[in-house]
Amino acid sequence: MLNTGPAKKVTIYINEDTQTRMVALHDAIMSYLIRADVSGATATRAYSGFGSHRVLHTPKIELLSAHMPIRIEFIESPERVESILPALAEMVTDGMIEVRDTTVVRIANPETPPLPHERRQGHAILLRVFFGEADQWQDEPLHTAIIRKLRGMGIDGATVFRGILGYGAKGHEHRKSFFHPMRDLPVMISVIDTPEKISRAAEAIEAMLTDGLLVFSDVEIIRFLRSTNFTEVASAKQPSI
Amino acid sequence: MPNSHRSKLLRIYISESDRHDGKPLYEAIAAKCRELEIAGATVFRGLEGYGEAGEIHGPHLLQHAQPIVITVVDSAAKLSELVPVLEEMIETGMMAVSDVRTVRVQKNGASATGHSEEHAG
Repeated sequence: MLNTGPAKKVTIYINEDTQTRMVALHDAIMSYLIRADVSGATATRAYSGFGSHRVLHTPKIELLSAHMPIRIEFIESPERVESILPALAEMVTDGMIEVRDTTVVRIANPETPPLPHERRQGHAILLRVFFGEADQWQDEPLHTAIIRKLRGMGIDGATVFRGILGYGAKGHEHRKSFFHPMRDLPVMISVIDTPEKISRAAEAIEAMLTDGLLVFSDVEIIRFLRSTNFTEVASAKQPSI
Repeated sequence: MPNSHRSKLLRIYISESDRHDGKPLYEAIAAKCRELEIAGATVFRGLEGYGEAGEIHGPHLLQHAQPIVITVVDSAAKLSELVPVLEEMIETGMMAVSDVRTVRVQKNGASATGHSEEHAG
C-alpha cells in the first residue's frame, strides 16, 4: 500500500478510441488498476494533442473529435509499480508509458497498522453551564459560540444538551410552545477536562455569558483514545487526561 | 474556582410516560421545584435507556416513554427540603445528589429575580 515518502508516478498516454477486446482501452486499464489494488488513478481527457502518428487530435475537426488523447496517471510504491508494469506494457499496444520518481507528502487515508486504544484514567472537572437557547453572542447562538471558543482553546470536549422544560434565575419558564414564536428552551453545555483547563474555560465562558449558571463537579474519568502519533505529540506538550 | 459557592446538584431519573395527577411527572416536578422556590430546574429527554424494571425506554410510535433526567441545583438545605417531597411524587425512579461548586453569572441586561443568590454559602 502507498505510504508517504518516495514513490513512482506512472503516466500513460493513449487514444480515447483505442479498443482492446471490444472495450475502450482506457476503461480496460482503469479496471485493471483497480483490480491490482492501486491506491488511486485518474484518467483525464486532453483538449488536444498529437503522438507518434503525427496527427493533431483536436475537437475542432469532427472526424478526429472521437480521437482525443487520454492520460491516465497513478502513484504507487516502486515495488508495486515494478510488479504491474509488464502487464500494463502489454495492454498499451498503441501509446506511451512514462515512469518517474516522485515523493508522496500526504495521503488521505494513511494505511497505518491499527494501534490499541489508549486508556487514560484520572481526576478531572466536569463543568455544566446552564443558559437559554435564545441567548446570543455576536449575532450567533451562544451555545455555538461557546463550543467554538472551547475548541479554539484546545479543551478536550464539550457537549450541548437541549432541555425540554425548565426555569432558572431569570424566573421565566423555558418551554416549547406551538404558539410561542421564539424558541427559548433551556440549554446545558457539559465540558470535561483537567482542573487547569477547566478554570481557563470557565473564565472564557463567564466573559460570554450574560445570564446563566456554572456548576463544577469533581469527577473520575476513564477515557479511551485512539492512539496515534498525533495524540502522543499532543500529550507530550501538555499534561492531558 | 474563585467566588464559587458550595452547592448540591440533584439528578432525577424518571420516564417520560410517568404521570402525576393526570399530567406528566416531569412537569409536576418542575412545578413543585418552582413552588418551593428552588433556584432552577432543567428537564432533559434522553434518546434511549433502561432502568429498574428492565424495560427499554425508547421512542415508540404511539407512546412516548423516553428517559427523562431533571437537573436541579441549589443549596444543601433547599435540596433536603425538596427531596422528601419528590419521594412522595415519584413511584419508580432514581435520585442522585452530588457536591458541586457554582458560579452565578448575571450581567447588566439580565434582570435579577431574587432566586439568584439563595444558594450562596
